[in-house]
Amino acid sequence: MADDTGIFGRKAAGLSRRTALKGLAATAAFAAGPGFVRYAQAQSSQPIRIGFQAHRTGIGAAYGRWYEKTTDAAVKLINAAGGINGRQVEIITEDDGTDPKRGAEVVAKFAGQHKADVVYGTLFSHVVIGSAPAAGELKIPYYVVSEGHHVASTKLNRWCFQPGITDVKSQIQAMAPWIAGNVGKKVTMIFPDFAFGYDHRDYLPPALKAQGAEVIGQIAIPPTESSFTRYFPQIPAETEVLYHVMVGPAVLTFVKELGEFYGSNKPQLFGFIDSLEAVDINSPGLEFIDGTHFWEGSPRYAQSNDSDAQKAYRAAVGIDDNGAAVGDAADVSTAAHMFGCWETLYVIKKAMEDAGYQGPQDRAKLVEATEALTEFKEGPEHPQGDKVFNGKIHQVFGHQNISKVEGGKLVVVHRTSIEDGLYEPEGDYTTMPL
Amino acid sequence: MASAIAAVVSIIPSSAFAHAADRGHVLLLPTGHYLAAGAAAVAASFLLLGFVRPGTLRAVLDRRLRLPFGLPGVRLLLSLISFALTMLLVAAGFFGSRDPLSNPLPLFFWTLLWVGLTLAQGALGNLWAAINPWYGPCRLVRPFVGTPALRLPRRTGYWPAVLGLAGMAWFELIDLAPDDPSRLATVVLAYWLTTFAGIALFGYVRWLGRCEFLSAFLGMVARFGIVDAGGRRLALCFPGARLQSVAPLPLSGTLLILLALASVTFDGLSRTFFWLGLNGINPLDFPGRSAMTVINSLGLAGAFVALAAAFLMAVWAGLRLSADPTPPLRAAGLLVWSLVPIALGYLFAHYLTLLLVNGQYALVAMSDPFSLGWNLFGTAHWNVEAGIVMGHEAAWVIWNLQSGAIILAHVVAVSVAHALADRLRPADGRLLAGQLPLGILMVLYTVMGLWLLSSPTGA
Repeated sequence: MADDTGIFGRKAAGLSRRTALKGLAATAAFAAGPGFVRYAQAQSSQPIRIGFQAHRTGIGAAYGRWYEKTTDAAVKLINAAGGINGRQVEIITEDDGTDPKRGAEVVAKFAGQHKADVVYGTLFSHVVIGSAPAAGELKIPYYVVSEGHHVASTKLNRWCFQPGITDVKSQIQAMAPWIAGNVGKKVTMIFPDFAFGYDHRDYLPPALKAQGAEVIGQIAIPPTESSFTRYFPQIPAETEVLYHVMVGPAVLTFVKELGEFYGSNKPQLFGFIDSLEAVDINSPGLEFIDGTHFWEGSPRYAQSNDSDAQKAYRAAVGIDDNGAAVGDAADVSTAAHMFGCWETLYVIKKAMEDAGYQGPQDRAKLVEATEALTEFKEGPEHPQGDKVFNGKIHQVFGHQNISKVEGGKLVVVHRTSIEDGLYEPEGDYTTMPL
Repeated sequence: MASAIAAVVSIIPSSAFAHAADRGHVLLLPTGHYLAAGAAAVAASFLLLGFVRPGTLRAVLDRRLRLPFGLPGVRLLLSLISFALTMLLVAAGFFGSRDPLSNPLPLFFWTLLWVGLTLAQGALGNLWAAINPWYGPCRLVRPFVGTPALRLPRRTGYWPAVLGLAGMAWFELIDLAPDDPSRLATVVLAYWLTTFAGIALFGYVRWLGRCEFLSAFLGMVARFGIVDAGGRRLALCFPGARLQSVAPLPLSGTLLILLALASVTFDGLSRTFFWLGLNGINPLDFPGRSAMTVINSLGLAGAFVALAAAFLMAVWAGLRLSADPTPPLRAAGLLVWSLVPIALGYLFAHYLTLLLVNGQYALVAMSDPFSLGWNLFGTAHWNVEAGIVMGHEAAWVIWNLQSGAIILAHVVAVSVAHALADRLRPADGRLLAGQLPLGILMVLYTVMGLWLLSSPTGA
């Protein structure tokens, strides 16, 4: 049929009305298929609804993918074991775009539109800080997996918790005894010149001093820098340990140039795996880190003494012995951090059970029940290790791993005590009204 | 509340996870050599073409390989399926998973349609004409609606499409949550209805040809494809060959192509350390889209104005150098077609990784559009292999594909421009001089394209 009639052109003719009506009806039926009915039924079975504030797009997407995998794996196990208080757990994922304003919107959607019981899972600090006021105003418990010091600083609000991963202040402080005792007492720090670097700049020196070591140089690198050779002459010659926490796309360049600067005659190097999280440490350019040490929250590589719980956790999430996705060796996980999702979900479960949580009306009881938690034992629910929870500052404390790059793997050479990472509380959330 | 947040941000030290992968590997590659080689290749092509008469080039480009079959008459069926799929995806956007990587709508729209289909159009031809979701419904309702009530004034040109594409680019690059399923579903549904109303008022051919930006833009891109459906039987031709018979575009059409190229270019630029540093944004601590709304809106507009000005000036200067009496806007409307391969090259290079990874997510999401545990096509439990674009080996392969596409696109663009110049009227002996300004612009654009793909990014 020619397309120059009616709506297509001048003459009106063509399909009969009957054919046309049949076509329209068929299309409508296709669009309103059985999915709608089943969706409506799903609403009445009343699962526990956990709003997952996920970095699915934006700068945090690489981490968000692994946070999602870990979350899915944990929820599958929780549900297979009967759920929480006899109810299945449903994860509702909303993308925050790794943006603080969108983060706050997403929290509001969880509380309003989705009638979620709690909000969970945020990593990036600026999103946590942007979302926390919304959680406080809407009185919805907000469990983050961020490693930032924001929750523990007690400058957020009573609805914010970080019960599944230690904060950066604790992590840095816990490194000091081992560094001073094993690699050297004269430390030079190289860090990016902004907040992330300042955490290390501010927390490490006093911790090292307490161990009889000292920071003899602090080199702040402008964040826009993508070549570093001209900064290296600033490293004092008597440096025994170079403490580096560079981040961003130029990290590989940083390591390569450092290797070219020092050759084989290098000081001891100590870094945080944050620099190379989700990056294969055997990538070209990283040869220089062989034999150096890194902090790891949870070990990327399977260790010879892994507990059964650790093995089960790795299998459930789907990472191989090298910490990459099973069957996709190039997809290196964010192993040092993502365990926090798993453990946080089990903390939520425990707190809901303690509170006898039934629904949103019990959210305040859930906050108090979470605050009442004190410790978590290593096991299937806490595969990274034992934890101590401080209900006053809503922050968990745990063991840290120090790993050495050996034979192309990260091998854990030291595990800190929980006490190494404890510090004086800076406030008390429990005195705030609910 | 914003000030309260800002105060807290300033007090509390934060952790940062600026990612080292992907671009980090590229930073270690000898990308500078590629920039130099790319510029040299495009410049050399330009000079070599100087020895080839445009008429000779056109004769080569006019060659066709006839195929023994024509287009099957399934357009109505395809469009109805496409319409049903569109509505299904809109429904999924409203009622399916809230996760933009599980919900099929954002994946189909941004990855398969906006990137995948545009590339397919450029490679093959006007697939969109057969699968657009308006044709079928229009055929169905034709018996019930009369002849279009209004006539579209000629001066309307492609301006509605320019506005539409500008809105789309802004939504994609600057809006806070273009991947949010229900937000996107609202936009898609509203756009479908608006277009349908436009067709009812002004007629299918007029509205889709010039006002509906997807059809207008995809139709232009399709002129580059190798399938010539002009005759009764299909024929194959060289890429870009069908650009020889194009009519010069009006200014609005010229700007439509320039806008498409500018938006992809700006998408690349807006992520670089350079752009972030220029605007006082710490590239290792990217604050998120909400902090970039004004900056990037101005940047997108600025990129468009800068590209349009550079192109129009190059065309004008070329006419002056060759003492060509062709009106400048007419020449621009003709030569702008040579930017189509560049836009395609940029699109391919820029979205290659997105296509490889989100394409997989789309296949998975398709099997369970409403997150109800369905497995319609057996792909619901496929493992998405993100590793395909990760690590230094992938980075090397992808960088070579990207730079190859950018360089090739510009070489083709130079050739197309040369052949199109046959339709201008340069003074004797000044043909090459007339093409020099545009040639220089293309060399510069090659270098910029490669630089955008090789410089550090923080967003």
